[in-house]
Amino acid sequence: MLHRTGVGVKFLLVFLLALGVSLQRENPWAILGAWALVVLGHLLAGTGVSGLLRRLWGLRWILLILTVPQLIFLEPQVALLNVSRVVAVIMVAGLFTLTTRTSDILEGFDRALAPLAKLGVDTSRISLALSLTIRSVPVILAFSGQIREALRARGRRVTPKALIMPLLVMSLRHAEETAEALAARGVR
Amino acid sequence: MPPSETLVAGPATAAVRGIAQMAMFAALVAVLGQPFAIPVVAGVPITLQTLGVMLAGAILGPWRGAGAMVLLHALVVAGLPLLAQGSGGLGVYAGPTAGFALGWIPAALVVGALTQWRWPLAWWRTALGVALGGIGVIYACGIPVMAYQLGLTLPQATAATAAFLPGDLAKAVIAVLITHALVKAYPAPFSWARRRGAPAR
Repeated sequence: MLHRTGVGVKFLLVFLLALGVSLQRENPWAILGAWALVVLGHLLAGTGVSGLLRRLWGLRWILLILTVPQLIFLEPQVALLNVSRVVAVIMVAGLFTLTTRTSDILEGFDRALAPLAKLGVDTSRISLALSLTIRSVPVILAFSGQIREALRARGRRVTPKALIMPLLVMSLRHAEETAEALAARGVR
Repeated sequence: MPPSETLVAGPATAAVRGIAQMAMFAALVAVLGQPFAIPVVAGVPITLQTLGVMLAGAILGPWRGAGAMVLLHALVVAGLPLLAQGSGGLGVYAGPTAGFALGWIPAALVVGALTQWRWPLAWWRTALGVALGGIGVIYACGIPVMAYQLGLTLPQATAATAAFLPGDLAKAVIAVLITHALVKAYPAPFSWARRRGAPAR
């Protein structure tokens, strides 16, 4: 059920819910309601309790950033309420991501941007840029692997500066080649 | 037969080159956040992503730099795990660090505008741009959101953020060094500054 709801509707629902809980910050019932929704949502989405716990574990750094300053500056009860509220909202928003395919969200962007075409914006360029970005991530990962191997082969330490300079040059050259390849296929 | 214009593939237009560069830098910032790709202090969630943000603005100029950050955020909203330690999805924008991440967009704009204000680049302008944009703007966007989410006052939230300042200063220094090394080795991408040219006498 959650998987099949329209992208736009789901996005709006999650947005309103997150907004509502964030504005009702002093109300413990709102927080409890949000947590109930998180548990129910995960069960409906078919991740089970283990999936829910795994996603909570994924939030451990955020939890650390959240909790430490609050324990310094605030009462423990207030801190607990704040942390549980923020984590609940993050998990609710995560439900959207969990139950919606990336390709469907990208299609949703296309539809949401369609009115811009009437204003003379070339929306196909936006789609092109998004898909080029996705394609570029593995390319850059491969570049960084090559550079690390080359540095090690010469017995040099892999420091950020030694890595990033060649990575930038390789990435920018690749962008130039990509632009030429696109031009050769008639994209302008 | 006269040569048909549609069949002649000329050199890449500025728009297409810009799209390719923005896509590449969005991907670069994503890769800089993955610990298996880039060596960082073990286990600590400090990544080189803000270094990538500074470099995007400094190298591509304000509009393409900010455009690269918009692309990255669009894909994170779409659910791809492109932020620090493979986090992504809508949850990022509900968390306490949302302001810092969204601040990358105006940050790249400010870094780019100051760094590429004139051609050739000046050390002091790059340093100013990276400090104001890459640190100042990001903190100015991030701290109020964090304060609201955590229920802290602004001074308290600022104090909590101070722990990240030494790392960000180090990244700013590296960004200036890399930008000025790159502009000598490979000046082609700095097109915004070159179009603006030298100051009028």
